[in-house]
Order: sequence, then structure tokens, then C-alpha cells
Amino acid sequence: MLYRVIDASELPSLVSAFMETYEVVAPVRSGRSYAFEVIESFDDIVLDYPTTITSLKKYYLPPRETLFEFDKDGNEVRDFEMRVKPRVLFGAHACDINALNCLNSVFEDARYPDPYYEAHKAATMVVGVSCMPSEGCFCHLLDSDEARNGYDLFLQDIGDRYLVSIGSVEAANILEGACSPREATDEDRIAFRQATRRRQAAFNPDIPDIQEIPMLMDAFHSDPFWEELGGRCLSCTACSSVCPTCYCFDICDTLDPDGKSGRRERVWDACTSPQFAQVAGGYNFRADGRNRVRHRMYHKLNGFLSAHDRNLCVGCGRCVYACKADISPIEVLKFFERKGAENA
Amino acid sequence: MPRVVFVGLASCFGCQINITNAEAHLVDVLGQIDLRYWQLTHSEPMPEEFDVAVVEGAVTTEEAVSTLLEVRRRASAVITIGACAATAGIPGMAAEGYLTRPVQVYGEHVPEACGTMCAPRPVSSVIDVDFEVACCPVDPLEFVRVLQQVLYGSNSFRRSSTLCGECKRNERGCFYGRETLCLGMVTRSGCGARCPNLGRPCNGCAGLSPDANVPAARRVCERSGVPVARFDEALEMFNQTNPAISA
Amino acid sequence: MVVHPFRDSGAPQTGAEMMRANPYRPWPARITSITELTATEKLFEFRLVDERIRNAFHHEPGQFVEVSIFGVGEAPISITSSPSKSGFIELCVRRAGTFTERLHQMQCGDIVGIRGPYGRPFPFEQMKGHDILLVAGGLGIAPLRSLINNIHDERSEFGRVTIIYGSKNPSEVMFRNQFEMWRHRKDFELYLTVDHPDETWDGEVGLVTKPFEHLEVNASSTYGAVCGPPVMYKFVVEEMRKKGISYDHIYMSFERHMKCGMGKCGHCQIGHQYCCIDGPVFNYWEAKNIQGSM
Repeated sequence: MLYRVIDASELPSLVSAFMETYEVVAPVRSGRSYAFEVIESFDDIVLDYPTTITSLKKYYLPPRETLFEFDKDGNEVRDFEMRVKPRVLFGAHACDINALNCLNSVFEDARYPDPYYEAHKAATMVVGVSCMPSEGCFCHLLDSDEARNGYDLFLQDIGDRYLVSIGSVEAANILEGACSPREATDEDRIAFRQATRRRQAAFNPDIPDIQEIPMLMDAFHSDPFWEELGGRCLSCTACSSVCPTCYCFDICDTLDPDGKSGRRERVWDACTSPQFAQVAGGYNFRADGRNRVRHRMYHKLNGFLSAHDRNLCVGCGRCVYACKADISPIEVLKFFERKGAENA
Repeated sequence: MPRVVFVGLASCFGCQINITNAEAHLVDVLGQIDLRYWQLTHSEPMPEEFDVAVVEGAVTTEEAVSTLLEVRRRASAVITIGACAATAGIPGMAAEGYLTRPVQVYGEHVPEACGTMCAPRPVSSVIDVDFEVACCPVDPLEFVRVLQQVLYGSNSFRRSSTLCGECKRNERGCFYGRETLCLGMVTRSGCGARCPNLGRPCNGCAGLSPDANVPAARRVCERSGVPVARFDEALEMFNQTNPAISA
Repeated sequence: MVVHPFRDSGAPQTGAEMMRANPYRPWPARITSITELTATEKLFEFRLVDERIRNAFHHEPGQFVEVSIFGVGEAPISITSSPSKSGFIELCVRRAGTFTERLHQMQCGDIVGIRGPYGRPFPFEQMKGHDILLVAGGLGIAPLRSLINNIHDERSEFGRVTIIYGSKNPSEVMFRNQFEMWRHRKDFELYLTVDHPDETWDGEVGLVTKPFEHLEVNASSTYGAVCGPPVMYKFVVEEMRKKGISYDHIYMSFERHMKCGMGKCGHCQIGHQYCCIDGPVFNYWEAKNIQGSM
């Protein structure tokens, strides 16, 4: 990885340079919270935002996306144009970059690469920024507090300047043109280590650090805990709407009002939605909250790991705030800690 | 072409009117059906033969009950539109003490036009309903989508997930963080959380989801500083006759 | 920036390249034959219209396709024809919902969309040189028929072949003609059984586990294959285990709603596995390690 240092005062010109050729999406205020939105100028950006309501996945996997158009009566597929915006996702936290890396391993899989996802991704640049954890953050427990790849630039705040990791030639050129990047000095590296330590020391100590989570997910699969946790699920699917790694979708046909033509669409879906595992004829393989919530946690903390060698939870904490019934991986970690205490 | 009739029971007819707001697509839609009767626009009585019946409004009279039984006998598909038909809606709010109301209003001589009144209830409590278009009033394009499901078939299941998941996608933040009552967490999704997106809490017009977790929602209220009594009272506006509420 | 996920590059392409370019794209297939099997099941034969796609389409027993009726949607259906017969695809379809209802209304000559094949098949090559014990319940015969017919066409490669096929009533027995013909063959041991016999029934009576009572199995050289309703698996694999067949020689095909078929949409997940790419055929050892599989 190539490292350079720029002054904090150079950021506006970096963003302006991106805005010349790209749509720039960045964290902005949305009511009392924050959201990733298209910005008009650098001043819209709140770079020290704690987290956003939803994640960046909407730019790779839109909530509703047309796969193709069809002619109903001829039962034929039509040629179809997909519009993709060249875009910079500016100000992504490490957890969110790791989340996009999870999505990549699903949608860029060698057997069935997804042409729609690939088109969005190919047109997108990611610029990460370092952060300090807020109350619901537990990325460090899931190996997601650092982004090792999956970005074009990563800005590490080291006081009045940024240590910039450069991940792509395209971004290096823009950085070079807009700022005066200089070689990192020993002093910069020391400041970087100090910033990293400050971050590591700032995580909420009430969230337990559990070893061997996947094994415990298997071991306690039949525990009454899941009845209690799933029993309070509101079936609202807020968790997966805000989750940066929930990628499940439904495929459905929507007719135009004239009934002659239509679109096949994929729409975000959620395994906590009651009909998710229902098959034709009505049988439902996960008919209650216990089974649905357990399945979701299982996929996050065990299932994905066995297929892709990384956790599908990046500890971003969004579901911690979004779930009004207080269901989140943190509750699962706390349960494991109680179990450990009981067994001791 | 499938023969379609629109039947209006106790309601404001707002859903039937709102369907006309599909304006640009109205002619396209009418081109796919043989519209035999639309209570809002026809003065002739309803014909005896039809394939699809669209019903608006709650059941509040014995006459409505017989109309529905007749509709079900003739129609191969019944679609209800709006909250009144689906949940008894606004007429349902008056369910308690309903039968004594005419006397309170008119005295001894209750006009015949009132019919033989019965406690307000949803259409589904009288006949099997095949499709439901939710909300007060219905979204005209949602009505077109459901009508097309009847005409051409669709293998999509209707969702029973509640509203917050859709609301989050609008990125507006939650009313409960502001100690404000909102019925989204027990109300069926499908509208796209339109009211919260406009800054107004959900009033539950899509009806209580069959998978709503009312006890859990009440605990959320308690924790969030919203009195449970207010939550329960708000639910009555569109769900007065739903047995799950009193449970 | 405009992307055409569908447009051909213009250069001559093979069928495999065309299918790979957009794996969500269904290809037109014509219904070439419809056979009524029971009151609720029909056998459809499809022929992919584009010759390049038709030539590139190769399936193995146990795999499925996604069938499209545009406007209605898409549904995963297991292939019931044998790979040894190419050029057409047979699907056995039960009328169970709106989609299959619409398919049942279609006529010869009508067009549907087909993409696939998907899924991990039965390990046909591995099974060669072994005895085979197949157990089907109800519509479970559909994917197993692909395997049965494939074995039939390469019969000399296999040892003893035993087929147990259970239905609720005689009227629900599918492919009855084929099985009637096979009853007198020496190279297939056939047990047709029904739960509720009528006066026409001269086969076995009872659950699919009943024939196991007097069945002799050479455990060390036998592969089992099971497909049927969810409740059936536990009982049948237990019988197979009792006969001494190894965990990893008992194969079963699971039913879930495979919406994308490519390990993405999530609908067919069983525990940590995707039924569409990790299955639908799993061996018993794998199934035991999937939370919630049986």
C-alpha cells in the first residue's frame, strides 16, 4: 500500500476534484441522525459523523432494481438499458468498507458473477475515513475496525492532517492533482499509531469480547434464549434495511399499468420477514420469530464465515439503534458471556 | 375480458374516488377489463353476472351481509379496497354501543334508509376475500397492481412484515427517539412508510399485521416514554374490531 | 453511463457465453408435449428455442431450472428427464400455487422462459459400480426419475437397483405406465406402495419405510437416494442407517424456494447452506451438520 500525507485544509479541494467527474455521496445530517446522500458542496459533509441510518449497500444493491423488461403476451425478454452513475462514496468508515467486501464475495463470486452489481461497483470509488467508536460500535470484536482493502483512498485523521492510504491509480491521480501529497514521516507514523490506540481504547467496554463465536452459535442453537430473543421480534425488518451486509432479495414481476409489458425486479428482502422461507403451497420453513431471528444471527455470526471466511456482521451498530425490540448481535454476545459465567 | 363490478358499503367512497387519480393510466386499465358496474358512477342496479368484485367499505347492515354473500356466490375473485373493508376502519371505531346510536340520533322513528343495522365488521368476517388493497385511502397504482394480479396471476406472496423496515429506507429517523407515538411497528408494510416520510407518525391505516407483536410493541412504548394507553387508543382508529387488540 | 446487461456483444457467441453474460436472463423455451399424470400433476416437455442455448444446456440428475411466465413470476422446478436424452427438458409440475396453476393452463406451442440448470446433482459418476437404493415419496419422484432413467440408460454400470416409491393413493402414483412395465424386469427391484389402497391396487400397502422390513442390502457397496415431503427424510435415512449404509452414501434432495438459483437471494438457505448451490442434493453427513435441515 502506498501512503501519503495531506493537510486537513486540502480536503475541500479533493472533494471538488471528485465532483468534477463524479457524483459525490457523503455523510450529511438527516434530522437528528445522519445519512449518505449526494452532496452539493464540501460544506454539506459531516465528516466526524458517528454512523448513518442506512449503509452504503444501496449504491451497489439498490432497494429496487430492474433486472430486465419483458413483453407479457409474447413472453419475451426485451433489451434494456441500465443507467449507472459514476460515483464516489466519500467518508466510508472501516466497518462499511469491510461490509462492501462481504457483498463483493457474494456478488462477484466466480461461478455466478452478478452483472448489475458489477456495473455499479465498476463505476464507484470508495474513499474511507477513520472514526472513533460510538456506544453501539463493536467492529473491533469482529475484525472489522480496519479496512485492509476495498477502497480507493483511506483518510486516517492524525490531527491537522491525514495519512492517506492509496488503493487505486485513478484515485492517486485525482489526489495528486487536487492536493500536495507528501511522503509520510516518522512523526506522521507515530501520530497514526497514537490515533489507532486512542480508537482501540475508546470502544464500549460493556460489549463483551467473546472468543469462538461460530462454535458457540452451534453449541447453543437449541437454547431457550432464542425463544426469548425471537419472541420479542416485531417482524419489521428494520434490522436488515439498515444492515450494511444484509444482501437477501426477492425477485418479482411488476406489470406496467397497460398490462402488456413489465419489469422483473429484485427488491431488498429480509429473513426476518415472516414470508421469507415460505414455499409454494404455503409451507413456511421458519414460521416464528424464534426461528427467524436465530437464522439471521446464525448467518451473521457463523454461516457466512464457513462459506466466505469472514463474518457477515461488521459490528457497525446500526441494528442496535434500529431495533426497537433490542435485538442485536450485542445481545447474542451478552448471552454467550452469561453462559460462560454459568458454566464457570 | 373479465367483467368487473365495484360495490360500495359503509365508507366515504374516497377509495373509489382515489382510483380515478390514476388519471394517466385509467384508460389503459379500463382497456383490460369489462367494467360492468361502478357504484360511484352508475345509476342502474348492479348486474347479476360478473367475474371480479371490488368492494369498498365496512359491513354495517344485514343488507350489506346479503349483498356480500351474493357477490361471493357470483364472483370468482373478490378484492377489498381500503381500511373500512379490510378492518371495519372508521365505521369500526363506533362498534361499541353501535346498535343504540340510531335511536340516540333519530329518536323512536329511525329512517328506513338506515337498513337493519348490525355491529360494524370487516368484509372478511362475512365472506372469503381473495385480495386486499390496504390503506386509507388506497393508492391508485397499488389498486392497479392488485387488479392485475387477479387478471393475470402472480406468484408473489403478500408480506406481513411491519412498517419500520420500509421507513428505515427513507432514512428519516424514528419517532420513538422523540417520545412520539407511531403505529409503524405493528402496522402492515406496503405503503413505503409514506406518512413518516412526510414527517407524520403512522396512524395504522394499513391495519394491524397478522404477525404484529403487540405485547412487544407495548414494551417498546413503555421504554420510550410513550404511554401504553395512548398506543392502545391510537390502534383503535383502524383496528377496533380486531380480536388481536383486545388479547 | 449506460450499461446494457442484455445486449449481445455482436461477436458470435457460444450458448454457454450467452448464458453466462447475464445469468438472470431466461431463455425462450417452447412447450412441445404435455402429459397428464394425475389430477394435480402434469409432465411438460420443453425445447429451448435458440439452438446455441439448447446445445449448451447440460444437466445432471437432481438439478433444477428456473421457469418464467412473464408477469406471473419465476419458479424453481426440478428436472425429471435424464441427461442421457438431450435436446429437451422434462418437468413434472404439481398445481400448488398461482404460478403452477398458470403453467397448467398453458398449451403445446406456448413459450416460457427457462434459465439454468442449477444446483449440485446426485453424484452419478461416484455411484457407478455400486448398488442403488432409491426412495421417493409423492412428488419426490420428479428429481429421482432423472436419476432412475439415467441409471436405466447406463444400466450395466450399476449393481442391484432397488426403487421404493410411495404415494398416498393409487390415483397419485405418477409415471405408472413406466413402472408397470418395469415390474417384470429382472434388473430393477420395484416397490410401489400406497398408504390408502383401493380395489384396483395390487402393489404394496403402507409407508415407504415398510419395504425395508424384508429388504436385503449390501451396505458397504450401496448408495441411497431419497426425495419426498419434509417429514419423510428422518424415517427413511434412519432405515438406511439401520441397514448399515454409510452416512456419506445416503443422498437426499431438499425442497426450498430457490429464487435466484445462484447463492445470492437467500430464500433457500438451510442453516449455513444455500439449497441452490450447496444442494439441493446433500448427503446425510452434510445434512446432519446443517442446522434446521431435517
